[in-house]
Amino acid sequence: MAFLNDETRGQVTEMLSDLPDQVQMLVFTKPTGCQYCDVVTELLTEVAETSEQVSLKVYDMTVDTEKAAEYRIDKAPAIALVGARDYGLRYYGLPSNYEFSTLLHGIQVAGHGAAAQLDAQSKEYLTSLDKEIFCQVFVTTACPHCPGAAALAFDMAVTSDLVNAEVIEAQEFPQLSSQNNVMGVPLSVINHSERVEGHAPASHLVAAMKKSLA
Amino acid sequence: MFDFKVSGKKSRSQGETQQYDLIVVGGGAAGLTCAIYTSRDSIKTLVLEKEATGGLAALTGQIENYPGFPEGINGLDLMEKFHQQAERFGATIQEFEEVTEVEPVSKGLLRVHTTEAVYETKLVLLATGSQPKQLHIPGEEEFAGRGVSYCATCDGPLFSGQDVIIIGAGNSGLQEGLSVLNYAQSVTFVEFLPHSPAEKILQDRVMGHEKSAFYFNQQVLEIKGDTKVTGIVMQDRESGELQELAANGVFIYVGYAPDTKFLQGLVDLNRWGYIESDAKLWTSVEGIMAAGDVRAANPAQVSIAVGDGAKAALAAREYLAAL
Repeated sequence: MAFLNDETRGQVTEMLSDLPDQVQMLVFTKPTGCQYCDVVTELLTEVAETSEQVSLKVYDMTVDTEKAAEYRIDKAPAIALVGARDYGLRYYGLPSNYEFSTLLHGIQVAGHGAAAQLDAQSKEYLTSLDKEIFCQVFVTTACPHCPGAAALAFDMAVTSDLVNAEVIEAQEFPQLSSQNNVMGVPLSVINHSERVEGHAPASHLVAAMKKSLA
Repeated sequence: MFDFKVSGKKSRSQGETQQYDLIVVGGGAAGLTCAIYTSRDSIKTLVLEKEATGGLAALTGQIENYPGFPEGINGLDLMEKFHQQAERFGATIQEFEEVTEVEPVSKGLLRVHTTEAVYETKLVLLATGSQPKQLHIPGEEEFAGRGVSYCATCDGPLFSGQDVIIIGAGNSGLQEGLSVLNYAQSVTFVEFLPHSPAEKILQDRVMGHEKSAFYFNQQVLEIKGDTKVTGIVMQDRESGELQELAANGVFIYVGYAPDTKFLQGLVDLNRWGYIESDAKLWTSVEGIMAAGDVRAANPAQVSIAVGDGAKAALAAREYLAAL
């Protein structure tokens, strides 16, 4: 049974119809202990069918260890969205419900090689970075505030090669959520130290980035 | 089964001011209903929503008193239908774009400033809804996101197998408490009044639940914690007795406050910040209407917001025709 109904499929087709660059969705699965690996693969197969510019490759991270290492994947299900180059866009978990929009946003920005919306000051800061930034955004799928925070992280990652954005479905990775004291979403954690709660503007994330590098 | 929602910003041409007949500020039940009516009526309509569309209704687990759904409907699903219906008739919906200022220029011309752009319109509908109220007690701000939450739909699943307190045993508290009861080990409701002001059907469901407990006539004084929430301190309003309750999470449902800060000095607001409007929903400023929860003396109900949205659309048509 298809996951996407005709209406949703039509919307996705339209959204992914004008991508200048090819986008590869690299899905990393594992054979055991992954409740949604098969679902993610099936869902992304349907997404790939909507656009000639979008393709799918599936790797078993326990077998394709070099590929997993190359894309710095350490858990499954994982989705790396790779455009003209790898901008560091990752989604961990099943992007269902509101988070399906996050996946589509990631494909769009990877395909355009540019942020959808980002103010000039934030862009200036991001393009002047000389140190790497890891931005983890914890989300839940029924949270309407979460796609905004996730999209911002993706926009920032595509703006600077030194910014990596990981969106993590908090329920699917309870240990990681617990380590990061995730008790509310969205929560953005910068360089494993600075926390930005809620769907905050870009300036708040930039401030947290500066603090994490100080 | 799984659901997959498509939302997000639409692409827009840069560098030129876009013009609309009507700009709706807020994509909840009132705003989307108005957009359904006006776009179907060929009124060029833009809906600006600072988050995802749906408003408070989308954060409600199950809505059972909205006509047409005898089995009830998930709030998110209902609002998704509103969104789709508005788009079907041609409304433009911009999500994650916050309005920062509404500037009346002349009769039939207003500028709407957002975090992303400036738009021009003949008419504005304010349907910004309301937000959960804060208690303003020690620990509330400190532990926000560390166990204090105002969104059970978003954060409830993070408290699986844990002890949760819900402050407020009104309709929202009990409705959302039902959803938290699916995950938590225990849910304790703490209410300021000596009784629950919620609908009886909700009271029966929650009070009969094996994992629920209730404290009435209690004033919550503090939310305690170290790196995260560990519990609350409350005082019995009759005996004055202080008591501590342990919990991993505290959800606060003590009513709502209007989202009108950016409108101060523009339209008349009442003492609580709600927008004053007349029977046809016109505010104190020509060309600006208000609808839904944000309107003074309007109970926060989806059905009422829908009625407001429809009324606003009819008033908009009349106003635009006379311009």
